[in-house]
Amino acid sequence: MAQDAAGAVGARLSPHVDSLIRAAQGGDQDAFEQLIRTYDQSVLRLAMNLLRSPEDARDVYQEAFLRVYRNLHSFRFDCSFHTWLYRIVTNICLDQLRKRKVRKEEPAVVETSEGPIDRMETFEEEAAQSDPERSMWNGQLKRRIDGALEDLTPRERMVFELRHYQGLRLRNIGEMLGTTEEAAKNCLFRATQKMRSALGDFV
Amino acid sequence: MNCDSVGKLIPLYFYGELLPEEEDRVEAHLHECAACAREMEKQRALAAALDRRQAASQPMLLAECRADLMAAIQGGAPRTGGTEKGPWTLFLEAIGISFTGFNRYRQPVGAVALVALGFFAARFTGAGMGNLAIQPNSGAPMAYNASMTSPDDVFSTVRSVQPDNSGRVQIALDETRRRVISGNIGDPNIQKFLVAAASEENPAVRVESVGLLKSRVDSSEVRDALLNALAHDPNAEVRLKALEGLKGLAGDPEVRKTLAQVLLADDNAAVRMQSIDLLVTRHDDSMVGVLQNLVQKDGNSAVRLKCEKALKDMNASVGTF
Repeated sequence: MAQDAAGAVGARLSPHVDSLIRAAQGGDQDAFEQLIRTYDQSVLRLAMNLLRSPEDARDVYQEAFLRVYRNLHSFRFDCSFHTWLYRIVTNICLDQLRKRKVRKEEPAVVETSEGPIDRMETFEEEAAQSDPERSMWNGQLKRRIDGALEDLTPRERMVFELRHYQGLRLRNIGEMLGTTEEAAKNCLFRATQKMRSALGDFV
Repeated sequence: MNCDSVGKLIPLYFYGELLPEEEDRVEAHLHECAACAREMEKQRALAAALDRRQAASQPMLLAECRADLMAAIQGGAPRTGGTEKGPWTLFLEAIGISFTGFNRYRQPVGAVALVALGFFAARFTGAGMGNLAIQPNSGAPMAYNASMTSPDDVFSTVRSVQPDNSGRVQIALDETRRRVISGNIGDPNIQKFLVAAASEENPAVRVESVGLLKSRVDSSEVRDALLNALAHDPNAEVRLKALEGLKGLAGDPEVRKTLAQVLLADDNAAVRMQSIDLLVTRHDDSMVGVLQNLVQKDGNSAVRLKCEKALKDMNASVGTF
């Protein structure tokens, strides 16, 4: 569940990251590249999970790391780099999620001439299903989960994503989202309740 | 602790977000209360179901994102040109096929493509000698004395396959004859072919030709062909090749004029970024306005960033007053 976060947390604790940041602040392009490579996998996965579109995830990646590039000189080590980076990334993702809420666009399932195709289908680790009944049940569950996730507010979605999939602590999540741990707890609770009631008979 | 308050703590308990004393109290309650223990089981089942809805890691997408980012920062390679395309990819593009998401068509299309490959594999190699009058795309027939292969190579493309009930099958073929011309790239006649090929319909041929022409920009005909490709070719790969070719001519007023137009009109960010690179190799106050305009209006953040940097390097203000 928290494999990305484990990597990111490991990186956060490494003094190596601090020296990379300082070198990158001094204009060392290689150091900047190494710094990015320490975190970018979890950033991309976060964006993919939240936005369910490789194109949008790509935009988030580009925008986030360009902002990092432009503003790295102002990073003062008063919080972890991971938290600082995730403030940027979560802001961009929240903007995207809010825009989608307004536009109601880009559903995960798109209609094609060959019937409905799940845009995420090719991006998921799915074991081959030999049992058709189980496969159908899984398909229904998947759609129900997607629906439940879409019904969350962007902030609930973000807190849930960061806690459940990225394995971050709520205190840290609050810090990233500019709110308190208590507010993050409430968000997580509401998100979980909504999903449990949406998935009712499936779980 | 009653069931109501434990129910509210179950998600936080599951995620290990309770204080130690709260956790102890919830655990004690769960041991005694079957209904709350079931709720806890539901929480676990929900989490397990959600675990399976996670995007898999995307090594290809990640590699593309990294290449894009570094291109944006260094103003270097474009998104599409981040990895050099091989002849196979170019060929498939040329016949308008993208395999992304169409894996199931890969084999049949590939089979037809192999047959058709002969159409597109023309290279200026080959042995054999001969004299031949060749009609280029435009202009008078050109007496051409260069190495030629036998004109008897015939290539076929399967256009249709129609089986009937008797077990027979009718296959319609389009046949074309190939002639291979070889010569030194400095040969003016070869150059004429390349210039003509730079406006051929097949984008793979255009990419290749423009790429070869870039070493011959001392000729005004070649320069004009590259400028034409840069300003008008619908394929960004061709435009990028043309830009590469024009690198040595960054001071040429005609080239600079085209670059300024491209900056404001080209829909490909990589082309715009490389045009900026080329323009700023020569200090030119008349470009300040163009760049300032771009900083305000360009839809791509990497292009805007590059403009800002270029303006700063020119000691010009980023905004207009």
